[in-house]
Amino acid sequence: MNSVLWVQFCKDKRNPLVILLFIAGSILATFLFAGGVYSPTTVAIFSEEENASEIETKWESLLNVDDSIQFEIVEPEEARTNVKDGNIDVAVMLMETDYRLVVTSELPSVSYVQQHVEKVFQREAQISAIVETQGEEDVRSEIENYLADAPFQLETQGTGSEQVPKYNLSTQLLFAFTFLISMFILGLKVNNVTNDKVSGIWDRMILSPMTKTNMYCGYVLDSFLITLFQIVVVLLMFKYVMNYEVGDNLWLVIMIAAFFTFSMISVAMLITGFIRTPEQFYAIYPSVIPLIPLISGAYMMPGTITNPILLFIADLFPMAHAMEAIMSVIFYNAGLQDVMMSLLFMLLIGVVAMGIGINLIERRSK
Amino acid sequence: MLETINLSKSFKGKKVVQDVNLYLNNGESVGLLGPNGAGKSTTISMISTLIKPTSGEIKLNGVNTIDKPGEIRRISGVVPQELALYQELSAYENLKFFGAIYKMKGKELEKGIQQALEFVGLEARQKDLVKTYSGGMKRRLNIAAALLHKPKILILDEPTVGIDPQSRNHILETVRMLNQKDGTTILYTSHYMEEVEQLCDRLYIMDHGKIIAAGTKAELLSILSTEDTIKVELNKMDETFVEYVKTIEGVRKVEASHSQMKIIATKGSNLISKLVHLAEKHHIQLINFHTETPSLEDVFLHLTGSKLRN
Ligand SMILES: Nc1ncnc2c1ncn2[C@@H]1O[C@H](COP(=O)(O)OP(=O)(O)O)[C@@H](O)[C@H]1O
Ligand SMILES: [Mg+2]
Repeated sequence: MNSVLWVQFCKDKRNPLVILLFIAGSILATFLFAGGVYSPTTVAIFSEEENASEIETKWESLLNVDDSIQFEIVEPEEARTNVKDGNIDVAVMLMETDYRLVVTSELPSVSYVQQHVEKVFQREAQISAIVETQGEEDVRSEIENYLADAPFQLETQGTGSEQVPKYNLSTQLLFAFTFLISMFILGLKVNNVTNDKVSGIWDRMILSPMTKTNMYCGYVLDSFLITLFQIVVVLLMFKYVMNYEVGDNLWLVIMIAAFFTFSMISVAMLITGFIRTPEQFYAIYPSVIPLIPLISGAYMMPGTITNPILLFIADLFPMAHAMEAIMSVIFYNAGLQDVMMSLLFMLLIGVVAMGIGINLIERRSK
Repeated sequence: MLETINLSKSFKGKKVVQDVNLYLNNGESVGLLGPNGAGKSTTISMISTLIKPTSGEIKLNGVNTIDKPGEIRRISGVVPQELALYQELSAYENLKFFGAIYKMKGKELEKGIQQALEFVGLEARQKDLVKTYSGGMKRRLNIAAALLHKPKILILDEPTVGIDPQSRNHILETVRMLNQKDGTTILYTSHYMEEVEQLCDRLYIMDHGKIIAAGTKAELLSILSTEDTIKVELNKMDETFVEYVKTIEGVRKVEASHSQMKIIATKGSNLISKLVHLAEKHHIQLINFHTETPSLEDVFLHLTGSKLRN
């Protein structure tokens, strides 16, 4: 097993460009397709009322309650052009007690901003109503103090609480592309089994004292390590260099990625069981792989795909389970317990596909 | 030491190897000769335990190798027909891998690699990538990879196909050294008659999955001791003339090409005068003719009615 690992690493060392290009490719793809919808860190606000500056300053301080979104006062003209030109997804036009969103299309980032703004305005309306009936300004600070240290701390998830799921499509796309590329890398690696079979190196190993289990483990472990390396590099890159939201529980995310990798290696093994030459693999694999994220809905908002047949097919591949688990970890703070089902599914796919795959490969060589 | 008993193999009902009986004595050098598609590689794969026979047995010192492949795998080295090497790695790295899978390590592995490289004359180029090697050098490395674990039996499957004469001689010399100096038992397959003639004590001739003759070179040639081989050069070739020659009493086989004819006939059948007579009748001139001492090639022609190489 060690020898197989060593010799495969030697080959990669000689030709590291392929792996590096793939890593660069997944970073670039994420940038190109996900960069535009990344959740806005600053949102333009403006007012066109008579007492515009008064309204602007009032809401600015109220809107900037936490640092998830930074609200910034800009000129109305500037905000409108920027939205129209697509430089920013959304701007907020403020009124005395109401607001309007300035948008051109219904991007995921818009609803995120809207949720936040809506919450602030509703609360302010409630406080104003109380102040009005009481007739005293002190009531405001009393309510504020009370809310800050309320007897009921709302910990549930949903609208109106601090635990609002901070879904954003760009994080999802980051994983979709990373997994897409990793499926290509692991396919390339698993195809080494066929390569070595065709060249006769496999037969040399069969005749040596090395056991079959060790041989297969060598190839699987090699694919696994390289693929996981790619995923981890890309994730760290986006988390620390580009400050993407990849959640606080990086270990759990990597663990899910590891299950995904194993599971997908098995699927690649299964495909290997059906083919005879490396060329056949190159013909089949790249035409199947891009379909997996598509039917798994990895490029779309969750819940977009409703066709039960597509959903069923997607469930047969590890990607749907991996995406579901990772999204719930990142956006809903799910723990190991919560994603256990997805992990088990991937493990099941992995074990079954690997079993059938190796069986087919063995039968081929008789 | 090693013997096969009625060894047979079918692929999807097609009989590729049929009732092959052969044996190898310790220290012998044995050739397996036959044209492409004869079933040599299939036979070798069964002996080396890579594929299972459809029927028949293989015994190593009386022990069935099909049930217990461990011992034959341990003591044999196989040089496959195709180049089973990592082209994108150096010769050294290749050998390090092929040694490591035989559980060799450290100094032992290092020494083994250098010995094997020296044996095939590749020490100087060991750090170069295999893909930069010439065809002959790749073939030599292919052999070195089978020598690392010091096998008692070396099985070579057409180790010289498609290479220059110099590399070929180098390889033949290497195999001879292994056999004569180290006492390695050799099973050498080829479709080149000369190689097997030069190298092997005994040989088997295989065609269409069957062993059609076996023995030492002298024994095989004696098959033809009752025959003459006559080569005739003509000024032109004529189909009907060839047909007439075939009807001459004593003629066993006729092979015609361009302006040449090869005739195998029973010794003392007074062929030449009959031939001259016949040629005159057909207005054909005999430019040149001579009687040949038979070669293994002729033995093959005699046994199968076709040429070894085509
Ligand atoms: N795995 C296989 N499946 C089907 N036919 C095969 C297989 N291997 C060899 N054959 C057939 O068996 C015959 C003998 O092949 P082989 O043993 O390679 O001959 P040789 O080595 O003497 O050239 C050929 O006709 C070949 O097509
Ligand atoms: Mg062959």
